Amino acid sequence: MSNITRIKRFLIDEFLPDVTPEQLADDHDLLSDGVIDSLGVLKLIAWVEDHFALPVDDTDLDPNNFRSVAAIDAFITERRAQAGATVGG
Amino acid sequence: MTTRSPAPGQSATGTAPATGQSADGTDPAPLALPDAFTAHARTRPDAPALLWHERTLSYGELAHLAEAERRRLAALDLAPGEPVGVLAVKSPEAIALVLACLTERRPFLLPSPQLAPALLAALFAQAGARRVLAPLGQDAPALPAPAQAAPVPTLAAGTSFMLTTSGSTDLPKIVPLGQSAVDRFTAWAHDTFDLGPGRVVASYAPLNFDLALLDVWATLAAGGTCLLIDPAHALNARHLLTQLTRHRPHVMQAVPLAWALLTQSAGAGALDSVEHAAFTGDAIDARTLAALPALLPNAALYNIYGCTETNDSFLHRLDRLDAAALPVPIGTPLPGVRTLLAAADGTLVHGPGSGELYVSTPFQAAGYLDRSRDTGRFTTQPEGAGHGRRWFRTGDLVTRDERGLLHLTGRSDFQVKVRGVAVNTAEVERVLLTHPEVREAAVAAAPDPLTGKRLHAAVQRAPGSALNTLTLREHLARNLPRAAVPEKLAIHDEPLAKTPTGKVDRKAVLPTP
Repeated sequence: MSNITRIKRFLIDEFLPDVTPEQLADDHDLLSDGVIDSLGVLKLIAWVEDHFALPVDDTDLDPNNFRSVAAIDAFITERRAQAGATVGG
Repeated sequence: MTTRSPAPGQSATGTAPATGQSADGTDPAPLALPDAFTAHARTRPDAPALLWHERTLSYGELAHLAEAERRRLAALDLAPGEPVGVLAVKSPEAIALVLACLTERRPFLLPSPQLAPALLAALFAQAGARRVLAPLGQDAPALPAPAQAAPVPTLAAGTSFMLTTSGSTDLPKIVPLGQSAVDRFTAWAHDTFDLGPGRVVASYAPLNFDLALLDVWATLAAGGTCLLIDPAHALNARHLLTQLTRHRPHVMQAVPLAWALLTQSAGAGALDSVEHAAFTGDAIDARTLAALPALLPNAALYNIYGCTETNDSFLHRLDRLDAAALPVPIGTPLPGVRTLLAAADGTLVHGPGSGELYVSTPFQAAGYLDRSRDTGRFTTQPEGAGHGRRWFRTGDLVTRDERGLLHLTGRSDFQVKVRGVAVNTAEVERVLLTHPEVREAAVAAAPDPLTGKRLHAAVQRAPGSALNTLTLREHLARNLPRAAVPEKLAIHDEPLAKTPTGKVDRKAVLPTP
């Protein structure tokens, strides 16, 4: 299962019970229309940390990192690459 | 018949509308409603007065029923001016009982018979009505004795109808209306819509609702025929349509809910008899509004604005070609109606601008029966509003445009703070209703320890619509600030819960505690 699919599944389970994965566009702005509020962002970060075993530090808490499915996916990919680089280096 | 509209931008200091009436719209004094009815019964006894299911009652037959009720009323041991309670479901018999009260100049409280017995008992006690009457042939209601005997209120001389507010708050307020105020109103209604002999006027609202003053009472004063829609079948679109196509009314006023039912179930041109079609009492949804011109090919369409306390205050005649534009203006004041806009700091807004709407109408109550509840509602303020005039503070927030037309923007009591941002829940409802797949919408605020208030919204989507919370949220976010997008959004296929007067019940949107 791709990251995108897993992110969508989480978002739908938590915030959008009446929506299908096809209806949730990758670039849908989740913050501007209140799908996720500030508490939701915290929930999402906890899930990312837990699910992808990625520590999210305070500097990553920019809401723009969590604005859309694509943004979350990009954030995860980037953090993994950094983590990999750190481990490898 | 054309609609009379005063010059736009009418204000407290404006000139009297060019109608030949005096500045306060009080003369010439029309015939009192019971006398006008009796005159019709005497001169045209065979003319139809009421249409009720398969029955037609002539003015003569209705006068006969009313006379039997009048004798019963006269035989009661009542002090002069002592009010009675009338507990009646809409029917010819109920109308006869009210006519008897009017003829006897006996004030009467006419609450919704659907209220809980304990609430009814409290209302009758508050009105000082020792005797509660059901129409002849209907079962007398059993009401509990009120917990404590209320002091008997002093009613103003000439009080006739006592209606209740729809009770979106707790105990409904009692609104006593003077007979002369009712008569000025029925004269306006007849003058505007022609309710006289040969005309059929559909009455959709329950009898206790203030809309009946136009549908039923103005029609009987003018000599027309009132098509009574049975509230027990009012949500049955097929029944409604059958009654309307069989009896072919010329005039119909109803809440948006009724028009929504009709536009959904009737074909184009189905109500071609209607010349004047008015919606009132609630915000209309975009789809229903857009469908009205086809449903009513020969009708002038109106938005009527009024409160139980003041009766109708504004009328807006819609341009048929432009009927889909939301929100519909509430329009211009009726003849003799004065308006004020007060900004949040209490200063008056002159010309274009926004503020809370105050009105003073020739049809209004002097105050609530319980005068302690007048505070902040009936007032001689604000400053500069002129001496001696009594104003009703509507609680509605409006904007006056360059043409002098007023537009409803929300309710001052629907103003809440979400994350420190002022949000008007009525505005959120309005935006929800502009979505083409939304039929009904309700928004309410629940207290929240974190954000101040948390908004809950519920909508009914159109049949076959695949509307989901995501697309609805996008629609909201395009039209509202972020704080005004409700946190909880529920989409239903079924109609939303309604109050007894047919308005969407906002409280039902909130989670049960």
